[in-house]
Amino acid sequence: MIEPALRILVVEDEALIALELEFLLDDLGYVTVGIAASSAEAIALGLSTAPDVALVDIHLVDGPTGVDVARALSADPRTTVVFMTANAKRIPDDFAGAFGVIAKPYSERVVASTLDYVAGCRAGRVPAPPCPDGFCRAPE
Amino acid sequence: METSDQADYPLAPATFARAFDSSPTPMLLTNAAHDNNPIVWVNEAFLNLTGYGRDELLGRNCRMLQGAGTDRSEVARLRAALDAAEPIECELLNYRKDGTAFWNSMTVNPVRNADGRVTFFFAAQADMTDKRSVEQAMRGTNDELERQVGQRTADLQAALEQKTALLHEVDHRVKNNLQVISSLMLLKARRTPEGEARDALSGMAERIGALSTAHRMLYSAGDVTKFNLSDFTDDFLSDFNAGLDAERTKVEARIDSIAVSAAMAAPLALMIHELASNAVRHAFPQNRVGRIGITARRTETGMHLMIEDDGVGIDAGPVNPAGFGRNLVEMVVRQLRGTITWRDRGPGTVVEIAIPLAEDA
Repeated sequence: MIEPALRILVVEDEALIALELEFLLDDLGYVTVGIAASSAEAIALGLSTAPDVALVDIHLVDGPTGVDVARALSADPRTTVVFMTANAKRIPDDFAGAFGVIAKPYSERVVASTLDYVAGCRAGRVPAPPCPDGFCRAPE
Repeated sequence: METSDQADYPLAPATFARAFDSSPTPMLLTNAAHDNNPIVWVNEAFLNLTGYGRDELLGRNCRMLQGAGTDRSEVARLRAALDAAEPIECELLNYRKDGTAFWNSMTVNPVRNADGRVTFFFAAQADMTDKRSVEQAMRGTNDELERQVGQRTADLQAALEQKTALLHEVDHRVKNNLQVISSLMLLKARRTPEGEARDALSGMAERIGALSTAHRMLYSAGDVTKFNLSDFTDDFLSDFNAGLDAERTKVEARIDSIAVSAAMAAPLALMIHELASNAVRHAFPQNRVGRIGITARRTETGMHLMIEDDGVGIDAGPVNPAGFGRNLVEMVVRQLRGTITWRDRGPGTVVEIAIPLAEDA
């Protein structure tokens, strides 16, 4: 059975990174449901779109508010939050409910393999390689 | 002498009295048989110490010297020893006639008569005020020194925290900027028609990717001044091989765990990227199948790096007018003060690079 394509919310204040990421997600066969640059936009888009996956940068237009965004979005059990940040040290010990983190600067391959891994976990499959490198999963 | 000593014994009580009266040590006797344990004798030194006249002291209890600052528990200890008729040493804050305080260190001994009954208490005193004030001053000096050391440590800690925060901020900005540059290149490549310009943009995006991988490994864990070449190569090749047709070409690496200075991370990353991608581009024309090996080992003076392929060899490859990759590699090797040789070993090409490393690297 073909699973429907993951619907992804991009939370990133750097327009160039967000745009390139959107192209990449499209290449990989995913659907981008929205791009948010601030925490308020991100939380509002999260409520209105209920995405499968949210890729969340920590530093947004309104400061290091990505952690709060992750906490708000992951409150919806339908949404898997993955941080994408160059500042992983800002992530709290409980990962604010996020599934893991992709370290910036990332390569397109790491984004692809991480989303593949996330899709596998969401579908209940146990993925063969435990964790793609360049991606770090939150502690259980 | 012996005979005269014997002749003088027993000494007359008046002789004892004179000796004790003129002693520089303040002394007194109290009458233990009396309820109030009154003073019955004091010497001159005691009068000098306390400022009282003899007639003001005789018949009164020693507690007349106590005052507001006297430690009640020390007084209780003294009282218990007297009640038990045991000798005691104690130190009390006492007051002179003029009201000034002094630290009175005393030894008190019961004096027994022939029947063994305690009839007197004998007390010898010493003024410890000077010693106390020196101790006090020392404690003050120590406290001040400790305060200063504490302050200095707090200042250094704050400076270190500031420096660490700054390092994180700069690290974060560099990584973020690399991501922006990479996105910019990839976006432009997407909008460029297939051909030389697009290949050039993709090539640049790949180079930035290699630099990004190197930078991602810096400051992420452990020693911020070191760069681990084998960790980098693992990550780099995962990315690199993912872009290749696994049936046709594969890059494999055997890298010793070599920690080099962080400053060498970017040039080494670029160099390995150029050598690997050069081999992929030129060694296997017309769908030729092959593999590329990268080995690096620590030598006595530095690092020996070898990139070999089983492709057509450099002489057989098409002449590349730009030859940018090879130029880049030679430039980087020069920058790292190393040497490089390119050999055709038919089949294939071998590139060997020796790079000197600092002793502790």
